[in-house]
Amino acid sequence: MMDAFSNLAMGFAAAGSLQNIGFALIGCMLGTLIGVLPGIGPIPTIAMLLPLTFGLDPLSSLIMLAGIYYGAQYGGSTTSILVNMPGEASSVVTCIDGYQMARQGRAGAALAVAALGSFFAGCVGTVFIAAFGPPLADFAQKFNSPDYFSLMALGLLMAVVMAQGSIINAIGMVLVGLLFGLVGTDANSGVARYTFGVSELWDGVDFLPMVIGLFGIVEIIRNLEEPELDRTAVSTRFADLWPSWSDFIEAWKPVVRGTGLGAILGILPGGGAVLASFASYTLEKKIADDPGRFGKGAIEGVAGPEAANNAAAQTSFIPLLTLGLPSNPIMALMMGAMVIQGMQPGSAVMTSRPDLFWGMVASMWIGNVMLVIINLPMVGIWVKLLSVPYRLLYPAILLFCVIGVYGINSNWVMMAMTTVFAIFGYVLVRVGCEPAPMILGFLLGPMMEENLRRSLVLSRGDPMIFIERPISATLLGLCVLLILVTVLPAIRKSREVAFAGGS
Amino acid sequence: MIRVRSPQNLGAAVIFISLAAIGLVFGRDLTFGSAAKMGPGFFPTILSLLILGIGLLKGASAFIVEGPAIERPHWRPLTFVCAAMMIFGLAINYIGLAFSAALLTFIAAEARPGARWGEIAVLAAVLGVFSVLLFVYGLGQSMPAWWGE
Repeated sequence: MMDAFSNLAMGFAAAGSLQNIGFALIGCMLGTLIGVLPGIGPIPTIAMLLPLTFGLDPLSSLIMLAGIYYGAQYGGSTTSILVNMPGEASSVVTCIDGYQMARQGRAGAALAVAALGSFFAGCVGTVFIAAFGPPLADFAQKFNSPDYFSLMALGLLMAVVMAQGSIINAIGMVLVGLLFGLVGTDANSGVARYTFGVSELWDGVDFLPMVIGLFGIVEIIRNLEEPELDRTAVSTRFADLWPSWSDFIEAWKPVVRGTGLGAILGILPGGGAVLASFASYTLEKKIADDPGRFGKGAIEGVAGPEAANNAAAQTSFIPLLTLGLPSNPIMALMMGAMVIQGMQPGSAVMTSRPDLFWGMVASMWIGNVMLVIINLPMVGIWVKLLSVPYRLLYPAILLFCVIGVYGINSNWVMMAMTTVFAIFGYVLVRVGCEPAPMILGFLLGPMMEENLRRSLVLSRGDPMIFIERPISATLLGLCVLLILVTVLPAIRKSREVAFAGGS
Repeated sequence: MIRVRSPQNLGAAVIFISLAAIGLVFGRDLTFGSAAKMGPGFFPTILSLLILGIGLLKGASAFIVEGPAIERPHWRPLTFVCAAMMIFGLAINYIGLAFSAALLTFIAAEARPGARWGEIAVLAAVLGVFSVLLFVYGLGQSMPAWWGE
């Protein structure tokens, strides 16, 4: 534990420079700015803002990105509470009671509880990472190729199970992502694979055109299909932002429970903010004395889920930073950014660049302070932003995406690739496939292949190696268990349907 | 009688099967190797076969399970947003960032019916100047600012 504190101190020294605090602030501001816009969740927000961080040194760029992530998520909550329009799945829950509170004139209390709850959860999450990161990274040193392969299989499977929509589609998208990840020169044999004679593909499919096309541009097109919505925010006086004493009493327990729940769910591969906020809402409703108040402006319904999603947002960095395993699409974006910066996330980062790891952990806490500062006093500005009509916003957002792609690689082919991915993403959405799981597969593709190759070389081609090693066997056992848990209720349900049809 | 019950599933099946076909056809010249000595074609072939399996599963389910129809695509936003991006990419080397940003604004405005051109002209001017100030002078990215190279 003492170690954790001395490490944290080192982290604060690295992250506390004026420059890095500045980038954390800019990141949080930009994230909130885009995240507040209805219909734009954290994934497109991060994808759009990713290019801005590339010119910075690795630590600053990660700090800024983490800030963007928290900002985007928090901005989404503000929109949910004031306009009843969730920008993303994890804010759906906040909408339920937050908007009702706003309509009852308690928007200030809802916003403040969300901000303070998130801040508390963020602090606990930071301590969590400091405490659990090193032991997990030590444990990861014991991992061999077969263990890594099984770990990635488990990670992908869990991400699939937790994904929105059809599981089969999500599995398909992960596999497609893995295949896309193999495009380019094979590191082992030097053979070019699936390059179709395009020299820009020799180094693989570029990350940025892919994520900006799939998420940023598709999001713009999807929003343009909807008629301009009424985005008038509930009018409130923001003078009385501070929650009343009774709000405080009612809110602190859900915040603590939500934080605990979120911190644990965030670590699990496939877990993350969405799952955490839903779980917390369900829990609060279940243990409430009067569940009937939920949906009518219960403060617990805002406090718990908001704390939970922020705690989970924090702790979902743990598998990425210690095992090199992105546990959800947002972490995949973070990983992509790290790879572009020339880092391979995993236990090696912690030993070779401890300043980077601990600096990032410290910056998470700094980011949470920033969020409170920029959200509570400045909420009026964000609300103003909501009233800017979309017809003026989208050309600016589009321009931003396009300059981002062009600025990294001043090449016309990159623009064509972005367009191709935008069309591909649009078609996918039309047939009910969410493209997000693809990013996970894309990043893990080359690593999975390499670890599979090494494992099979080790065992001279015998696949039994995966169940002969205890770590790998345990992980694969979890995979099987997970499949059973997911499939069984479905079988039961379809059997019931069949029986009902027969009788 | 066989009929498509879930058009979305059929659409997904078509995508998966085509991607698998591309993976198999363009991967056929890659050495497959053996388990102990994986060639460059080993993993892609396995992945393509798995994707093919998913595609066939989706295809079969399209005729068995009821599901939603595929929403008609809205061509206007799709066309103009993509056109704006491509033209920006082509134009920037000739007319510089400021003018291509303005051009992008005008084309993108067409993605939505009933654009107010006065308003768009102001927006285009603002975005053109602002993007040069931010990206070229502020962030120091190397791209032609006011006119081509």
